[in-house]
Amino acid sequence: MTAVVYSLRNVVKERMVENAGFRLHIPSIDIHAEENIALVGHSGCGKSTLMDLFALVLHPDQADGFSISPVGGETDDVDELWRRKKHNRLSLIRKQHIGYVLQSGGLLPYLTVRENIELPRQLLNLPKDDSIPSISKVLGIHRQLDKLPGLLSAGERQRVAFARALAHRPSILLADEPTAALDPITARKIMAVVMELIKGLKITLITASHDWAHVYKMDLRMLRQESGPTENGRIYQSTFRD
Amino acid sequence: MTQVGNIIRLSFRDYTHEWRMSGCFVAALAAVLAPLMILFGLKFGIVTSMVTQLIENPINREIRPIGSGHYDQGWFERFRDLDEVEFVIPKTRALAATMQLKSQTAKRILTTELLATAEGDPLLTKLPKTPSDQFQIILSQGAAEKLNVKRDDRIDASLARQFQGKRERVHLDLTVIDIADAKVVSRNVAFVHLDLLLATEQFKDGRAVPSLGWDGSELDESSRSYPSFRLYARSIYDVEYLVRLLESEGVQVRANTAEISTVQSIDENLSIIFWIIACVGAAGFSFSLGASLWANVDRKRKDLSVLRLLGFKSGKIVLFPVLQALYTAVLGWLLAVLVYLTFEQLINRFLAPKLNLDQTLCYLISEHFFWALGLTLGIAILAAIMGGMRAADIEPSDGLRDM
Repeated sequence: MTAVVYSLRNVVKERMVENAGFRLHIPSIDIHAEENIALVGHSGCGKSTLMDLFALVLHPDQADGFSISPVGGETDDVDELWRRKKHNRLSLIRKQHIGYVLQSGGLLPYLTVRENIELPRQLLNLPKDDSIPSISKVLGIHRQLDKLPGLLSAGERQRVAFARALAHRPSILLADEPTAALDPITARKIMAVVMELIKGLKITLITASHDWAHVYKMDLRMLRQESGPTENGRIYQSTFRD
Repeated sequence: MTQVGNIIRLSFRDYTHEWRMSGCFVAALAAVLAPLMILFGLKFGIVTSMVTQLIENPINREIRPIGSGHYDQGWFERFRDLDEVEFVIPKTRALAATMQLKSQTAKRILTTELLATAEGDPLLTKLPKTPSDQFQIILSQGAAEKLNVKRDDRIDASLARQFQGKRERVHLDLTVIDIADAKVVSRNVAFVHLDLLLATEQFKDGRAVPSLGWDGSELDESSRSYPSFRLYARSIYDVEYLVRLLESEGVQVRANTAEISTVQSIDENLSIIFWIIACVGAAGFSFSLGASLWANVDRKRKDLSVLRLLGFKSGKIVLFPVLQALYTAVLGWLLAVLVYLTFEQLINRFLAPKLNLDQTLCYLISEHFFWALGLTLGIAILAAIMGGMRAADIEPSDGLRDM
């Protein structure tokens, strides 16, 4: 068995609006290096919330254990980093080990495609090499490198978002509904290319999707999700487990 | 590249990418700052030149003796050497200090009052030269108009006296070397060399003036003294001291002390008005600029969230809106300065002549421009830091989903 990258025990994140609320509960999840994980569930079930917890951009309200140990990195107690407000440590882990693809790309509109992709490498002071041309070629965006994101199609933008997320060779790739805004054919094409790409890069992939059929075909391990009202209907609780 | 270097680059790229929006912010800033600068310019220009004019007007600095006395050469030398005295020159008896002037281009003969003058005469500061001998004369504008003469014209001056039972008249050929401004002296006055004034008095007193070939009784040069003087303090603030000094020596004098205190209180009151406007304007400007920069930080929240997701530290993220505020502040200030300078030219060239003012109506000194820049930068950075801290404070996941 390979090393555990994420280990979550009894992690809770709540969002309260007046007296009604939503609670995400993770009794126990272990994600191993180079695993390909899918979070599947209907919209509003907390997939994005869980992705943000994995991405270290959202703090848990409660956690008996929440550790991250990226391949080639140290083990950190994420809950403790949040509680002690070690934001710079969290930024450092994000920047070195995580690539994040947002549903709508999240590209910076004022930078060209090339500059968007180069940004994570610049932040780590990595030298310029052939990784950007080669990733761009595999993703089929090498002709778009000098354009601004605003001129690209939705599908092209998502390819750029993947390129940016992978440019600095992170060991963890998080993709939150990366193909939700695309037509099914384009979506399948992109995901096939991405799956092919990460196989060679030894990456742990966690992706969220509401498209069941899609996930089965791609050979991903699904986390079980169930949800329903609790505490006399005051709270809508969603649970993810191994 | 360092994180700071990256933030500078990214904030600038975003600023130019959104040039329409940036342009609006710059224009909005200039729209508040430029009128404020014009208002200041007007206030400053009017106040300064008004006060300067009041302070510099020699009439407010003149100290006039009442009645006549005996002031000898030593007295004049002593007063000329005082720091508080700008100019002092003898006067002769008023009745003896007149002459009749006649030009070839006007029929009338004009009786004019004679005033001795010399270099540094406060009444003639705008003129390039003063009479250097007995044959040169400067006319007041009123006298020149009545005689229909202009600079470099020649003019006939005559003096009459009853001498040994006979009526005598002598003539002198004088050159008009300049015309004195009507604002300085409104009467019919001729400014002449002291020698000519003395010659006039001697002739009228029945004495001889050898230098001009006029006959009369012999002159006793030994104890020459003058009955009166024309004296100007260096500034209005020196008038009081000189009045006291002269009175302590038994010389009864009159000065515009009441007007001087009026000028001083006008100076103070206008300064108060100036500062009230400055403070109210600056406060309004601060709120307007602060509000627009605060709004910009809010608008930028999504982009800032993405930067944090990519691993920028929160402290560095604050720089992003601060730098953009800096760009807006500098560009807005530049635009406001351009607008101001344009209006300054328009006001001074077209409005001031219509108001019949020969003073500069609107101007600022370079210090004022830097004050405006400093104020703008200060407010901009403060507002952006407050907004930026707020942006850095929210969880990075916030704002990601609205992309």
